[in-house]
Amino acid sequence: MRPAAIRPIALALSREMALTALLLLGVSFVVFLILYLSPGDPFSVLLEGQMAGDTARAGIREALGVPKAWYAQYLSWLGNMLKGNFGTSIRTGLPVFGEIVRVGLNTLTLTLGSLLITLCIAVPIALHAAVRGDTALSWPLTMLAYVVSALPVFWLGYLVIYVFIHKFGLFPLISGSSGAQEHAWLYFMVPIAVLGIANGTISEVIRYLRDEMSRVMAEDYIRTARAKGGSVWRHAFKEGLLIPVTEIIASKIPFILGGAVIVEQVFNWPGMGRMAWQAAQDRDFPVIMGIAMVAAAFVRLGSLLQSLVYAAVNPRGPQE
Amino acid sequence: MKHYSQVAGEIGAYSDLPFWKKADRGDLAYVAYGLFIVTLVLVSYALGALKLLPYDPQQISIGLLNAPPGRAGHLLGTDFLGRDILSRLIVGIQAYFLPGLLAIAISLSLGTALGVVAGYRGGPADALIAYFNDLVDSFPRLVLILLVIAAFKPDIYYVMVVVGVTGVPGVASLIAGKIRFLRQKNFIEAASVLGLPAHVIILKHILWYNCRTLLIIQATLGMGEAILIETSLSYLGFGVQEPTPSWGNMVQAGANYFLQGRFWPSTAPALAILFTILGFHLLGDGLNNILEGKRKK
Repeated sequence: MRPAAIRPIALALSREMALTALLLLGVSFVVFLILYLSPGDPFSVLLEGQMAGDTARAGIREALGVPKAWYAQYLSWLGNMLKGNFGTSIRTGLPVFGEIVRVGLNTLTLTLGSLLITLCIAVPIALHAAVRGDTALSWPLTMLAYVVSALPVFWLGYLVIYVFIHKFGLFPLISGSSGAQEHAWLYFMVPIAVLGIANGTISEVIRYLRDEMSRVMAEDYIRTARAKGGSVWRHAFKEGLLIPVTEIIASKIPFILGGAVIVEQVFNWPGMGRMAWQAAQDRDFPVIMGIAMVAAAFVRLGSLLQSLVYAAVNPRGPQE
Repeated sequence: MKHYSQVAGEIGAYSDLPFWKKADRGDLAYVAYGLFIVTLVLVSYALGALKLLPYDPQQISIGLLNAPPGRAGHLLGTDFLGRDILSRLIVGIQAYFLPGLLAIAISLSLGTALGVVAGYRGGPADALIAYFNDLVDSFPRLVLILLVIAAFKPDIYYVMVVVGVTGVPGVASLIAGKIRFLRQKNFIEAASVLGLPAHVIILKHILWYNCRTLLIIQATLGMGEAILIETSLSYLGFGVQEPTPSWGNMVQAGANYFLQGRFWPSTAPALAILFTILGFHLLGDGLNNILEGKRKK
């Protein structure tokens, strides 16, 4: 790549990095604020069932070295987090960061895999609609996409589990880390496919991609490309496919992470979603705070990727 | 000097036909189905609130466990405790209906306010609101809800406040975009030249005349999302608790029987979720295509 083409990308990257850092700071403050405003404090969870009076509470505060003022608490929590210390889980007593790293990869696989499945379904349908216009296929496909988007993902999960148990005699209930089992790849693929199909965004994704592609296909430069006998595909690819697809990836990551919470529950998939569910049940603050931070970082990473692709495709920048 | 018809032509292909005659037949079918579902939900909600149910939703009958639809007067059959599924579905609407309206009210009011400031004022306020939108969008909605549940309590109204706030960025950016587009139009320019105060221009000429359809569409889509969130949370065990029915906990309660091959107790509420969310989505998209003219060929 020529140096002249790298500079705008580097510029966009540094600007986006700064924005991402600022946003993650905001995210950490919101997470802290929710915890700070919650009734009762984590110490009552620690002291549960120990008949703790106010003196005991003050004692444990002092013993753990918890500062009094809210901003001091926030800064010390933030400082620890920057050092990779997310605290220890109230339930298991293990460091939260290690736990999240242990299961985070499973959730990452689940999320990115489902996103890939969604795109593998949506892109051909959208391309077909954009290039061929209304055909006999387009109405049934649109309706199917609507129905699939409204389908409760947990019910589809049960259906798939039932089919696997009774028709194939397989038992895909424990998945993810079960590497040694036979058909392990299948246990791995099924939740990804279920979340990819029924995450509730597919009709929206198809509509967005179709609209963008049809808009690009109607542009003058595509007509020129056609007229001079050039490849329409090559001219339309960047604006018509690459940019909309990266936009979809960036904007749908939070939805699919939310869907992952449910799918992990249905399939007993050992991931961040199940951990968040468990933590919400036990009021295990350090864990859920850590997960919220990691999830937000993941979302921001998606947007960062999007602006990178955008800068690479259109080095003039977004203005005009 | 532009002729009137030219100006009108710029705004959109003008015709005297009412919108339902200009509309695509498919879009009208979407809206008709959506309105049917909305009516069904409203009527069922009223029936449930007035306790006009075919059976008592809590009444257990041991002789009729997992009965198929139509058996012994139970139109949609019974669940694993012999309770009437139809009555439970009707009562289950209460789990999301009012909380969903709360979520919609929050996202529409806050989103409109922020959108107006961002679109009309611009400048640093716009940048600040863009930051707020990005910040809210950084949280996966369900993770934020679980955080709030852990910090406070699993109460559906707390959850719906979160759903409402997370819906704000979408509404705000739509309204802001619409206002940026409208501000270039002659009639807004004329209104400000005529000396109309800003609040009249914003409330009357921008929001009331030009944004109300947008807001109705957002409200429709918002109800679909509220149902999705409520059912997901009930499924996860944080929503309405047994024996009070909600569509999500009905699916969950029927799960064990589902895996034994008794599909119906779990499938009936799943279908209710499917048809209702589908109705709200189709209504929103159909209205969008008809009123906002998104499908101009």
